[in-house]
Amino acid sequence: MRIMYINNSGGGFADYMNIEEDTSIAKLFKQKMPHEEAANYLIRVNRQPVPQDYILKENDRVTITPTKIDGA
Amino acid sequence: MKKYKTHVRAANMLLEALGELKQEKLQKIKQKLEDFSCKCSDVPKYSRKYNMAISRCWHKAAEKIRSRMSRDLNDFSHQLEQFKNSIDTDQMKLPKLGDVVAELVQIEDELGEIKFDFKARTISIITETIALEGITFGSFEIRLYLYEIKKLTFQSPYKIVALDPNPAGSNCDVTHPHVSDENLCEGDGFIPIRKAIQQGRLSDFFTIIVQILQTYNPDSPYVSLSDWEGTSCYDCGYTVSGDDCYYCEECERDYCSSCSTYCQICDTTVCLGCSYECPSCNKPVCEHCADVCTECNEQLCKDCLNDEGLCNNCQEQRKEQEDEELKEEPTTAAETKPEIQSDSVGQTRISA
Repeated sequence: MRIMYINNSGGGFADYMNIEEDTSIAKLFKQKMPHEEAANYLIRVNRQPVPQDYILKENDRVTITPTKIDGA
Repeated sequence: MKKYKTHVRAANMLLEALGELKQEKLQKIKQKLEDFSCKCSDVPKYSRKYNMAISRCWHKAAEKIRSRMSRDLNDFSHQLEQFKNSIDTDQMKLPKLGDVVAELVQIEDELGEIKFDFKARTISIITETIALEGITFGSFEIRLYLYEIKKLTFQSPYKIVALDPNPAGSNCDVTHPHVSDENLCEGDGFIPIRKAIQQGRLSDFFTIIVQILQTYNPDSPYVSLSDWEGTSCYDCGYTVSGDDCYYCEECERDYCSSCSTYCQICDTTVCLGCSYECPSCNKPVCEHCADVCTECNEQLCKDCLNDEGLCNNCQEQRKEQEDEELKEEPTTAAETKPEIQSDSVGQTRISA
């Protein structure tokens, strides 16, 4: 299943990616950012906040933005 | 859709700006392609020269061409790699109008009112009041200049304008630990910000900037929070708190304790540049309490000059001179006096 994944930390990845069926947003976050706390990120699916057990669907647009970004 | 008329107009302006950016990027690739093509044209030249050298048994010349080719091939492989990288990474796909409008609507939902200035070609939002570790910096306007997007590779197309500024005591241009002269030092946000603009993800662009403004990085601020209320020493730049700051009454600037002193005659605070160390007593004094000796013209503090404006040396010299003159007086008088004689001197009394 293909979704749009945008990660606004690090290199600012933004592209389509394939995930397994019945993947929850919490599971995707764990897969993509295994060492991070979800509480430190603004997570949106199709521009809306969703509960952590939300099951991703085909063509969903997932955006992950850190709540703290270090300026220099 | 009527409700979003201004959003559609702004989205079209953004798409136009992104089109200009795309054109810039394609132009850049065109330039690189030309450079690369020019480099490739060197190969037939080398081939011709090398063939000639071999056919005429000019072995020295052939070796020279070979080493030059070897050097150029190193450059060539580096340029080839760079050229490929720029072609691969500079791909840019323009977003759809509907997606950009959705971005603008999302901004309003999450970050508050969005301001469009179609004449100035800007899109702005105003943040809530930003406070870090107890210091309030007021709210900021994040203003994106659409006509500057085409220069995204070289400069930031947006400004961070402090609306109720609480600038650092040491530098009034610093309105936030990571904002100077309305420019944000993006740090970790550098690449995500550029990617968000390039892909028309304005909601992400504004959100990333708000998150940077709400984060304090103590490792590299323009002015650290601990020094925010302080004043910068005009001489060494060290930031000092109000109690440790000294105001030079001569040049009217603020200094730290190391760069200031006080006049030991009138007690005025002065900086080291405006103070003068008396060469006689080594006391620092202000320029009003220093004067020149009327005899030798040396500058000294007023304590080291007498009422006649003479320094100790000149006073001593004058005293010695006077003493010498006094000693010399009797002998010289004997030699010179006969010319002016008092009455009766040298006259013989003659009886009548």
